[in-house]
Amino acid sequence: MEITPLSIILVKSDSKGDRMLFRYPHSTNHQRDSSQCLKKKNPYSMIIAEDSLQSIPFPNSTNDNLTGLSDEVLSTLFAVKPELCELKFELKVNDVRFVGHPTLLPSRGPKEINSSMLFNVVFALPAQASQSVVRCYYDLSKRLGIALRHEEKRCSFLTEEIKVMVSTHDEVAARSEEESDSDESPYETILQKSSLARDLKCIFNSLSTSGIINIMINRWIQVSFCLPQKVHQTHKKGFIVDPEIINQCLDSLRPYHGLLLLTEPMDLMDSLPTDHSPALCRLIQMYNPLKSLQTLALDSDLTLAQVFQLTGHLVYWAKATVIYPLCESNIYVVSPDAVLTDRMLEAFSEQFPGMCLLQVISDFSLPTSISQKLNPLIQPQQQTQLVKMIIWLLKNHLLLQLHTYVQYMPSVHGSSPVNTGDAIDGASPTDGLPDDESGAGLDESTWSLNSTLKGTPTESNTDMPQEKRDDIYSYQSDTYPSDDIILLERLCRLGYFKGGHHLEEIMYLENIRRSQLLQILDKFRDVLITSESEDPAMALFYSQRAAL
Amino acid sequence: MTKENMSFPVTKVEDTGQEGPIRCIFFSEFHPTAGPKITCQVPDNYISKDIFDNVSVYIIPKAQLQRSTITVTLKDYKILGFPIKIDNKKYARNAFYFNLCFVCDAEARTVHYEPVVKKMSDFLMALEVENCFLSASKNKTRLLEMLYQVMNDLNMHKMCTLTEGTMTSHLKVVRLAPEPKPVLDHQVPIFLEGREAFRSDQWDLTTQQVLPYIDGFNHVARIAAEADVENNLVKSCVQNLVYYGVVTLIPIFQYSNVYTTTPKLKELAKNIELQAQCIEYTSKSSRQPAFLRDIYRMYASMTHGNSIRDLCQRLNPQTLRINERKLIQFGLIEGLIRRVHKYPILLPDNHSEEGRNNPLYKYFTGSYSLDEICCTTGQSSAQIEDIVERDPSVVMLWK
Repeated sequence: MEITPLSIILVKSDSKGDRMLFRYPHSTNHQRDSSQCLKKKNPYSMIIAEDSLQSIPFPNSTNDNLTGLSDEVLSTLFAVKPELCELKFELKVNDVRFVGHPTLLPSRGPKEINSSMLFNVVFALPAQASQSVVRCYYDLSKRLGIALRHEEKRCSFLTEEIKVMVSTHDEVAARSEEESDSDESPYETILQKSSLARDLKCIFNSLSTSGIINIMINRWIQVSFCLPQKVHQTHKKGFIVDPEIINQCLDSLRPYHGLLLLTEPMDLMDSLPTDHSPALCRLIQMYNPLKSLQTLALDSDLTLAQVFQLTGHLVYWAKATVIYPLCESNIYVVSPDAVLTDRMLEAFSEQFPGMCLLQVISDFSLPTSISQKLNPLIQPQQQTQLVKMIIWLLKNHLLLQLHTYVQYMPSVHGSSPVNTGDAIDGASPTDGLPDDESGAGLDESTWSLNSTLKGTPTESNTDMPQEKRDDIYSYQSDTYPSDDIILLERLCRLGYFKGGHHLEEIMYLENIRRSQLLQILDKFRDVLITSESEDPAMALFYSQRAAL
Repeated sequence: MTKENMSFPVTKVEDTGQEGPIRCIFFSEFHPTAGPKITCQVPDNYISKDIFDNVSVYIIPKAQLQRSTITVTLKDYKILGFPIKIDNKKYARNAFYFNLCFVCDAEARTVHYEPVVKKMSDFLMALEVENCFLSASKNKTRLLEMLYQVMNDLNMHKMCTLTEGTMTSHLKVVRLAPEPKPVLDHQVPIFLEGREAFRSDQWDLTTQQVLPYIDGFNHVARIAAEADVENNLVKSCVQNLVYYGVVTLIPIFQYSNVYTTTPKLKELAKNIELQAQCIEYTSKSSRQPAFLRDIYRMYASMTHGNSIRDLCQRLNPQTLRINERKLIQFGLIEGLIRRVHKYPILLPDNHSEEGRNNPLYKYFTGSYSLDEICCTTGQSSAQIEDIVERDPSVVMLWK
């Protein structure tokens, strides 16, 4: 995995020179590290067992990665020049990428001569780590730097810890000089003595497992951090959610979207830190997957912008995902990257005794709405169970919601007229056309063009050749009721029929009923083409690449 | 059908960072008295002395880091180098340290320059060992010329040939693409550009033998059989072609297949260039091109549960002058549509009598699609669908 750190390193540099203070994991884990880094040299080449000439042994990577570098070399690399302090530090040596934020500690009082001290919490990552992963680690290093500087200012915590670490290093070095055969690592002893070292170890371990860090440095200052690429893996194995994807999703967030918590609301409340925002608390209390964000804002008495921000926060920390609020007309289908594990099957039948996940989900092989699954004979409790099951499937990203998008195509050549004159030829004498159908289609197309013309004369003028416009005026709207044409013309003018807005969005923005919209779609089905697909904003959380 | 002027944009697979040009190349060495310094650089003074001093520890590093690719990222620059040390008694400090560095923008990707820097450093090292090209001070104008040539040629043509005396070195920047997925038996390779666009004589013999059978309809197992090439060889051959963006893989075409639209479909209504390409590719004859609206309607009607057979019966692409097979190909290549695969799954803990006897059942785990099962077992999809239909303990998952 490219997001798991290889190592965490603490380095200081002051008037006495630079020094490696702590690194984790140390020598005992070297073997594992090197095997992690070892990549096949050319993964595309066929590996043929019998072809012994081809199988050149791969160079042992212990020599050219992190574990081959001594503490002294690393500490000179990380103890940067003062000019590079308080800036992003990124260094790649062969297959290892080091990221950190060198932090400068100002001198304490005028009495002390040895003025400033620099320390750097560096993360070693595999070189393949993407830029957004590197940015996240940099952010963490910066946070730790700020927290440690604060603690240093408050009670010179860092100086004390450094003293402990340095003296342990010296003791161990002295001891190993006396008895040359002893090969003990100073880092084990430091782990026992220093609380900062234990914190760093804890940070490393949580980065490798959960991706969420919540520690109190010196039992005083809290550092919380979330590695989104890792956190989202708990809900979906092997799919890396970069912060960029989350931001993209949040940019396309609309008031009609809804929130779906991935954990139980009560558990979420318990997991919040003590100084959490009361607004978040109110939001969670009012939470219901059937509500839209707008309703949530009204119910919890928050502004919509605040609800958006809280949603973004919850999504980033993988506590929630964004959905379209559950309602009877929603159409769901199996998501293209749904992977059903045995663990999921068990979890499902535990939650819903007597139900089999496979059977339930295979009902969604064809697009199915809740209303289709309901019938008048169904018991109310069965209905609630159905809703609960759909929520469970959505939480596990097994279902995808399909929306209907509308594309307005006034002429056979699409929305943009072609200047070759084909369209006009086709419309007047039909001798060039093999079938009457397309000729008829053209006639109808001119109907709607006509109506567009009335609404936006300037726009149409630029779009249409002059002679064509005259043609259009000869068709008057006698058969179509004018109300529908007016509505169609308005919706077209507002750009809803360009394949970018689904029916629910149009209904929300224009405050019209579904039946009205469906009526329009049916009446003008020759020029309005509907297609079903997922909402691109929501689909960001599904790996489309797996579909092909 | 004119294929020559068709060109599909190669799908962008890169996810992070862009490949940027080389902004500067400098040559630095460890001066016996002055310490690390830049000896020459093009363009002049791109990296100022102050900046160089800040990072000199990464450019002329400790002995343990010699011959390592070291990249250091500063606020505005990214410096990539490969430090080299030549031990010899003739030098002032018994060794000559130098480092040839490429400088790029801070957010650009530089991984693809690493082999180039290494190769050029080795070339310079050879020159130095041969005739003290670097340490003899009067020669710096020639080195400057060389750096200038490398920067220009690599930025313009992605390759460069260096000649000095009797020695020559060829440098080439190779684009790094992510590793392509393993190729499977039932996948169909299809050319992204017209087959005429590249010469076949530059490929290896196996590829040359395989190429004629890649027509966008034959699946890998079939190509192997027809070209009389071992199956695994064909697979690695196709994988190689996928890596270079020559072909892409699409599912087998069958009239029973189901496709669904993706959000990218709306591009077809907007992008006039794409429309022209699409009409040209999918029309039955180029003299009477199909109408865009008909094509769009065909695509838009593709949804879960609508097989191509149903679509053809309803919309009759023949009279619309649309070639439905090419319509599907174009949609898949451009990502306007995606295939909906069928996965038969045997429900746990109710094994029927047939389940124990039929060898097909071992594929009903949910990880094999119908295409895969058909291809491995040689059964038709209708036969397997029939089995699934008859046995209530097997469900079909469409995704």
